[in-house]
Amino acid sequence: MRSKVMVFPALLGILVIGLLAGCGGSSSSSGGGGGDEGTPVDGGILRAAINDNPDHIDPALSYTSEGWQILEATNNGLLSLKKASGAEGNKVVPDIAEALPKISDDGKTYTFKVRRGVKFSPPVNRDVKPSDFKFSIERLFRVNSGGLAFYKGIVGADEYAKTRKGGISGIIADDKKGTITFKLTEADGTFPMFMAIPFAYALPKGTPDKDISSVPDARVATGPYMVTSYTPKQKLQLRRNPSFKEWTDQSPNGHLDGIDIAIGVDPDAAVNMTVNGDLDWYFTAVPPARLTQLKAQYGDQVNDYQRNNITYFFMNERKAPFDDLRVRQAVNYATDRDALVKIFGGQGEPTENIVPPPLKPAYKKHEYYPYDLAKAKQLIKQAGVEGTDVSVWTRNQEPFPKATQYMASVLNQIGLNATVRVLDQSIYDDTISNQKTDPQIGINDWSQDYPEAGNFIDTLLNGNNIVSIGNNNQANADVPALNAQIEKANRMPLGDARDRMWAELDSEYMKQNAPLVPFLNASYPKFNGPNLRGLVFNPTYFELFPSMWLEK
Amino acid sequence: MSGQGRTSPPTGRGAKGPPGQWTLAWRRLRRNRTAMTALGIFFAILLLCYPGASLYSRHIAHHGPDFQNIQGKIEVNGKPTPIVRYDGTPIGPGLRSEYPLGADANGRDLLLRVLYGGRASIMIGITSALICTLFGLLLALPAGFFGGAADGTIRWLLDLIWSFPVYLLAVALATALVVGGADIGPIHIESSSLLIPILVIAVVYIPYIARPIRGEVLALRRTEFVEAAISHGTRSTRVMFSEILPNVLPTAVVLFTLIVATNILIEAGLSFLGVGVPLLTPSWGNIIQQGYTQMVTAPWLTLAPGIAIVLTAVSLNVFGDGLRDALDPHARHRARFSTDPRGAVAETEVEAT
Repeated sequence: MRSKVMVFPALLGILVIGLLAGCGGSSSSSGGGGGDEGTPVDGGILRAAINDNPDHIDPALSYTSEGWQILEATNNGLLSLKKASGAEGNKVVPDIAEALPKISDDGKTYTFKVRRGVKFSPPVNRDVKPSDFKFSIERLFRVNSGGLAFYKGIVGADEYAKTRKGGISGIIADDKKGTITFKLTEADGTFPMFMAIPFAYALPKGTPDKDISSVPDARVATGPYMVTSYTPKQKLQLRRNPSFKEWTDQSPNGHLDGIDIAIGVDPDAAVNMTVNGDLDWYFTAVPPARLTQLKAQYGDQVNDYQRNNITYFFMNERKAPFDDLRVRQAVNYATDRDALVKIFGGQGEPTENIVPPPLKPAYKKHEYYPYDLAKAKQLIKQAGVEGTDVSVWTRNQEPFPKATQYMASVLNQIGLNATVRVLDQSIYDDTISNQKTDPQIGINDWSQDYPEAGNFIDTLLNGNNIVSIGNNNQANADVPALNAQIEKANRMPLGDARDRMWAELDSEYMKQNAPLVPFLNASYPKFNGPNLRGLVFNPTYFELFPSMWLEK
Repeated sequence: MSGQGRTSPPTGRGAKGPPGQWTLAWRRLRRNRTAMTALGIFFAILLLCYPGASLYSRHIAHHGPDFQNIQGKIEVNGKPTPIVRYDGTPIGPGLRSEYPLGADANGRDLLLRVLYGGRASIMIGITSALICTLFGLLLALPAGFFGGAADGTIRWLLDLIWSFPVYLLAVALATALVVGGADIGPIHIESSSLLIPILVIAVVYIPYIARPIRGEVLALRRTEFVEAAISHGTRSTRVMFSEILPNVLPTAVVLFTLIVATNILIEAGLSFLGVGVPLLTPSWGNIIQQGYTQMVTAPWLTLAPGIAIVLTAVSLNVFGDGLRDALDPHARHRARFSTDPRGAVAETEVEAT
């Protein structure tokens, strides 16, 4: 899942602003903070801002952190990820379902009991029924949702994707009994995760098969807030949902009366507005260049969150010289991960693992590649690839080009002949994910779709998932024995045994195959107004609006 | 009585003829202190960038402009100081032999980068201006000389080129060529080649040279010496290159100096947008591009190359103005009259005089 990018300023402005910056500036300090201390106070409108329109305000279509953050406050699914920070927030809990699903012995059937009394917002104003969930999942296929892949394991889904007629046979909804059953083609322990992400949120039957972001009557909510007005490129307004009644502590009522989101505020402007007291909260992270200064002056208002993500260099195992394991290991030995973390502004922790630390126990730290330039050079010599031309690919979004220049210098130091290829951010992912382009080595990052180690190892390294276009396995790693283990892990139910298997796979991949040079688990520094309290950062939904409150 | 010899007509054996156009221009230029100072500054920049960069690299810094020392430390006030702090802020400028202008986020010596960056920027500025001037002359001469359909076609072509926004064209070309480079007949241009920004800048600025020169050729075509050459049966190409070209060359030289400055600025702009000089080759533009995200915490990363660009562009522009005054002393009068509300009439009167 990706978040949006900012725009470049003009060249002339740089010099002028640079001169002004060089002259220094006055600073003001303020108290307050963004912690969750104190007794929550109800009321008030949160003044929020975002760089550009959220991608969609439609659960079936939104696939960015900004969109999911809004949808978390307005809509609900059968299940949810726990509305908590850190590792707790990775746990699946019931939401509109009364309890976690009953799973058949073969792991192929999931049955949910739907809670009674959960209502849709006006103008629908009726109880949510099991058939609404069936409708919502089927709608994903009718609107070509980006999340289709998560639900293709349901019996009849493939057929429905082609015909779009007759419904998905593997979803059986019984409104009288209040149950809904999902039959899967094969056991998939990840399925509860798929039911907890916004793609599976409930929309009432009859919702049009098109983007409802700008259709006010179709933007029907089940959560504590509803989108009452949306003018793209200008503003977005959330207000309390009059039909909402808290059903568990996982569906809190919310403290704010509403949220006013100004659209078109870039990250730098947002920092200035917050400092001036004109903004309470901003959607995305603090620009790296501002962080040190903000931490020094407004330490209480800066929060460094831990996300489930990984930044890495992939090495294409189908392209020389990276078709040789010794070369891939050499690059791992020659990479000083602490140096790369500095390039990323110190925002995160160095890592050699594929699975990020918050996904413990699937994360088990290993250190197969301590920084050892001499050993790297020796491996390159053994592989006989000295002087081989290598292009290191990067997107033009800072600091990726700087990290790529570092990697190019590393490759040159160990005896290869490296150049850098820079692609615009907008085309980078599509280009490197295309087998026709076939990059040798490049930088990339991966943020979870759902909080599970499989979303990293299966997505990035399973050889069975290699495709010609839109290939997430950019290293083209394809080790049959490890592929089989991934498939086995996927079938296991969520839990410790499954997590241990991912930890083992993480270790085995880096030891036996070294397809990636993982180097960073990036943190997510946020800067908010001094009166904002109740900040809870869930790794999937990000900061939760219903938890926030404003100190008077 | 020094200086009076010039006013007396040359007499007797061994007497030299009247000084030529270029000699006179050089004498006038030497009297223009501002222009000569500007020329001196530009030469100083050239000296710093060419022998200076290598000498500093070899004898003082002891490493090249690409040497990345992110984890290294240097002595500052007797204390070991990291070249790049944990939060990515590089060391700033200071009076010391190592990293005197500070370092960039990759731990590279900024002074060395700026000096080597000047090489790429100046080389692109001069090469693209040369190509631009050459093609400008080649288009302007036939357009002004033949007139009619030839003039119409060339003017249309110049309008077409002029209508391309240089940055958009460069971004489009860079995006298209980044994966496989360009194949022009048997010639393959790598996506990382400096030829791409050079050609983009050169092509887009051809009308800047060709249009004013075409105007001059049009006027020269009607002069008596050209008519005489044609009536003697001299071939058109010979008339163009032997009679007209020497008369438009001063204008071309002036425009060349001015366009070098413009092209250096364009290079900086393109590199800032990430479509100019390849990332691993330092240029003033891409040094700014890589430094602007740290403008608040490390302003020297943008200021140092920014000042270098300003000094180069201003010195070339001031020198270009001086050169124009030296080669065409009437130009200043024309310029003054043309800014007058009665401009057109006044200019005609001066020309007639």
